[in-house]
Amino acid sequence: MTQNGKATTVRTTFTRATGISIEIKADPDVVWALLTKASDFPRWNSIVTSIEGNIALGETIKLKSILDAKRTFKLKVKEFEPAKRLAWGDPMGNRIYTITKNQNGGVTFTLNEKIGGQLFPLFAKMIPSFDQSFEQFASDLKKESEIIMNSK
Amino acid sequence: MTTELFNSEFESIAGELKSYILRITASIADAEDIVQDTYIKASEKLHTFRGESSLKTWLFTIASNLTKDNLRAQKRWTENVTDITKEAALLNKQFFQEAMNIRTTSPQGQFEVKEHIAFCFTCISKSLPLEQQLCVFLKEIYEFKVAEIFEILNTTEAMVKYYLHTGRTKMMNIFEGRCALINKQGACHQCSELNGIFNPKQNTQHEIMKIEMAREANNKDKEHLFDLRMSILKEIDPFKSNASALQLHHLEHNRQVMEKYLEKKAV
Repeated sequence: MTQNGKATTVRTTFTRATGISIEIKADPDVVWALLTKASDFPRWNSIVTSIEGNIALGETIKLKSILDAKRTFKLKVKEFEPAKRLAWGDPMGNRIYTITKNQNGGVTFTLNEKIGGQLFPLFAKMIPSFDQSFEQFASDLKKESEIIMNSK
Repeated sequence: MTTELFNSEFESIAGELKSYILRITASIADAEDIVQDTYIKASEKLHTFRGESSLKTWLFTIASNLTKDNLRAQKRWTENVTDITKEAALLNKQFFQEAMNIRTTSPQGQFEVKEHIAFCFTCISKSLPLEQQLCVFLKEIYEFKVAEIFEILNTTEAMVKYYLHTGRTKMMNIFEGRCALINKQGACHQCSELNGIFNPKQNTQHEIMKIEMAREANNKDKEHLFDLRMSILKEIDPFKSNASALQLHHLEHNRQVMEKYLEKKAV
């Protein structure tokens, strides 16, 4: 996946996978801190309007987003590897965040989500595209991380 | 470093250390205890002090660790601390009688708006995560450099920047939303209200206009207004100022109210 901050989506009959990758000139701990401090999300992220709960392994969080303002997504944190990998999801699919340290001192951030199942073809058209929101999410994370790193 | 030199240096730093711990813990007793414990611990470990950092940085490191241990089991306060404590104060006649008594009898019992601004910041800063609160005070009030703060808090430069940025931004947003001194729509007028009670002969508006932050309220640069707020805190020693007796009494009241409030909320 190229690190250009542009989302790509691959569709099959029973699944849909969206991914994005972007280079961020920041320390992995800072990117991780932003991704795991639930109450701070709305301050820097223009997609997520609120997250209730504690982002930690095994915990369930309640997430609201501008994609479907009336809906609350109940998501379980399934993977939690500090400064490297975070995953949460529900029976429909998983969203995976990875942070990879680059040799130039920055990181590559990737975000992937695969949704699907036997009944997926029935409601596939009702689920909006994630491309734009993934791009905005990655852009917000890059902007905030780099502001922090450049602060005095 | 000789013990005599250490004692003399400690004495010159102790005031700042005590005010720092007070502002983090909001407890007079804890501030006094932790300063004492810092002295004992530093004396015992003086042979390990190699001068790689300044003595002030080393002492603040010991004091910060003791403070973090002290606060580990305690819950953080809430952003609306001043609303909760105001409501409790209005129902507590004894609190006001004692405050009036301090106001009329203590040489350090004056009420000054800028002192209340500093007090208010201390209370609201306790709603920040502890690391953010420590970083904000160390950088903005006690003027440590980022490189010194990550040594004091045993973390990394990047994380200090993260804590500072998030702590500052959160405090700016809280004050922008609440403080009537910088936002005409702000719901909190406590400094003006209390000035009216404790200094009834004063023109409160005139007093407020003596404060640069209030004069510059129309300045839309939140960062600048926050820096002006920080400059007020920098000028004030909460144990030695003209208003210290009154503000410490008020702080003790708020601490007790918040401890009870958080205890009740947890049940």
